[in-house]
Amino acid sequence: MPSMEYDDSKPSWADQVEEEGDEGTLPSPKETIKGNIKTVTEYKIDEEDGKKYKIVRTFKIENRKASKAVAKRKNWKKFGNSERDQPGPNVATTTVSDDVFMTFISSKDDLNAQDQEEDPMNKLKGQKIVSCRICKGDHWTTRCPYKDTLGPMQKELAEQLGLTTGDKEKTPGSAEPEPAQPAQAKTGKYVPPSLRDGGTRRGESMQPNRRADDNATIRVTNLSEDTRETDLQELFRPFGSISRIYLAKDKNTGQSKGFAFISFHRREDAARAIAGVSGFGYDHLILNVEWAKPSNN
Amino acid sequence: MKPILLQGHERSITQIKYNREGDLLFSVAKDTVTNVWYSVNGERLGTYNGHTGAVWCVDCDWDTKNVLTGSADNSCRLWDCETGKQLALLNTNSAVRTCGFDFSGNIIMFSTDKQMGYQCFLNFFDLRDPQQIEDNNPYLSVPCSENKITSAVWGPLGEFVIAGHENGEINQFSAKAGEILKKAKEHTRQINDIQTSVDLTMVITASKDNTSKLFDSNSLDHIKTFRTERPVNSAAISPSMDHVVMGGGQEAMEVTTTSTRIGKFEARFFHAAYEEEFGRVKGHFGPINCVAFHPDGKSYSSGGEDGYVRIHYFDSHYFDFELEA
Repeated sequence: MPSMEYDDSKPSWADQVEEEGDEGTLPSPKETIKGNIKTVTEYKIDEEDGKKYKIVRTFKIENRKASKAVAKRKNWKKFGNSERDQPGPNVATTTVSDDVFMTFISSKDDLNAQDQEEDPMNKLKGQKIVSCRICKGDHWTTRCPYKDTLGPMQKELAEQLGLTTGDKEKTPGSAEPEPAQPAQAKTGKYVPPSLRDGGTRRGESMQPNRRADDNATIRVTNLSEDTRETDLQELFRPFGSISRIYLAKDKNTGQSKGFAFISFHRREDAARAIAGVSGFGYDHLILNVEWAKPSNN
Repeated sequence: MKPILLQGHERSITQIKYNREGDLLFSVAKDTVTNVWYSVNGERLGTYNGHTGAVWCVDCDWDTKNVLTGSADNSCRLWDCETGKQLALLNTNSAVRTCGFDFSGNIIMFSTDKQMGYQCFLNFFDLRDPQQIEDNNPYLSVPCSENKITSAVWGPLGEFVIAGHENGEINQFSAKAGEILKKAKEHTRQINDIQTSVDLTMVITASKDNTSKLFDSNSLDHIKTFRTERPVNSAAISPSMDHVVMGGGQEAMEVTTTSTRIGKFEARFFHAAYEEEFGRVKGHFGPINCVAFHPDGKSYSSGGEDGYVRIHYFDSHYFDFELEA
């Protein structure tokens, strides 16, 4: 089958200089046959940009044995819209397209696997990484179907019993009852800053108590390169409120370097995060979570 | 494999057909020209110019002398294959949907659409009698008032025509008296295409009901069913392997209203005996309207709604591949 290829490699500069010498006149087309390779070299000036082009086309000449009738038909004169076409395929009507391959399907499973979309989150579905604060179900608190009914009920109940609506891990009847901040946030109502959690207290962040922060910081390693801060936020939020997430990133590429520091407000939350996420498979890597060592500086 | 892309049409391809030896490939489309190509390198031999409407069907006789085309310009035309000259013009009352030469090349049949108040007819002309052509008077004209013929091929020995109808029925119409010899109704929706095996013993149908079925051409016994998720526009039986190829995809009018991912515009290869799909070839930008195997089974071509015809020469993998049953 004669195939056509355009040679876009530039001729040597010496050739070009030589050609530029005779501006305006085009060298006559050349045709060389070497073995079974026919090379046709044509020159043309593009009408739009005025540049001179050298077109090199390479054909493979193939001899085929065919029946008499077929051989005779091969010599038929072209007619109709192809009447003026040169012998050989006309590039206006015949082109060689990109390589395609037949995708073989060896079994029905393959077929189904192909159709199913690859979703890394599907792998996580079976495992319980998230637990609702309201119903202890396998979803985020904000997505709890009972958040409007159960949440306020729990609050009332807690108020009656004089308990807080905080996490179960908190020792019941702790000295300082925490305001029911999560329940409020769930309803999505605007709460003025003065009424928010800690609104009455002095701003913690203003105080130079980074030491305390360090105590509740965990180090997560073996993260995949595609991990983002938001992914980490989603992963660790269920364990408690997070004060800071630091994801080490390459300065140039912006890709994750594979480790991150997560600071929780409370050390218990951090401890639970270590227990819950260490050894957990995320994005086909097994996460390693441990206490962050205090930085030297 | 590197497909050869044939860009001879400005509108969607309606039918492609190889001649008996497979050295020529005919293609017709919803534009007015009929193209003929050398299948070996995709070189265009010529065009048959004259139709003034979409061309629905094309056929070539066994010795590649004459070419027959049927068009929506209410005519069926006979051409000289070598020179592209028009030999005969048969005017009809409505669009010509299917046409074909019998194996002798002497008798032609074509069917017309139920359209503009006219019925669907299956017409037979004997080319040995020039008077029939001159008077435009078929020796046999079979009316099909209920369900129009949407596809038709000649059966073995030129005794009957196997026609697929818009309600999914297949009928054998005798070429002598026009009576229905055999009936089968295995499909529930319109039959888009019927093609024969190389020895004419079997026919394969392609139906809008998402299946393609293999029938014995003499008895019309249903042999095999090939299921897909999309309407099948065309199906062909490999002459050398126990394979069938099917082309389809959602209907052109529905393409814009559905996601591109579910288009399934691939040519799909099924094992003829196990009825299992084993391979797919991508390439067209729209539904495949017609597929055809080269008579030597080493290549196949497909014509699509995108207006391109692609000739595919199989890689060695295709011949080595064995389906795990």
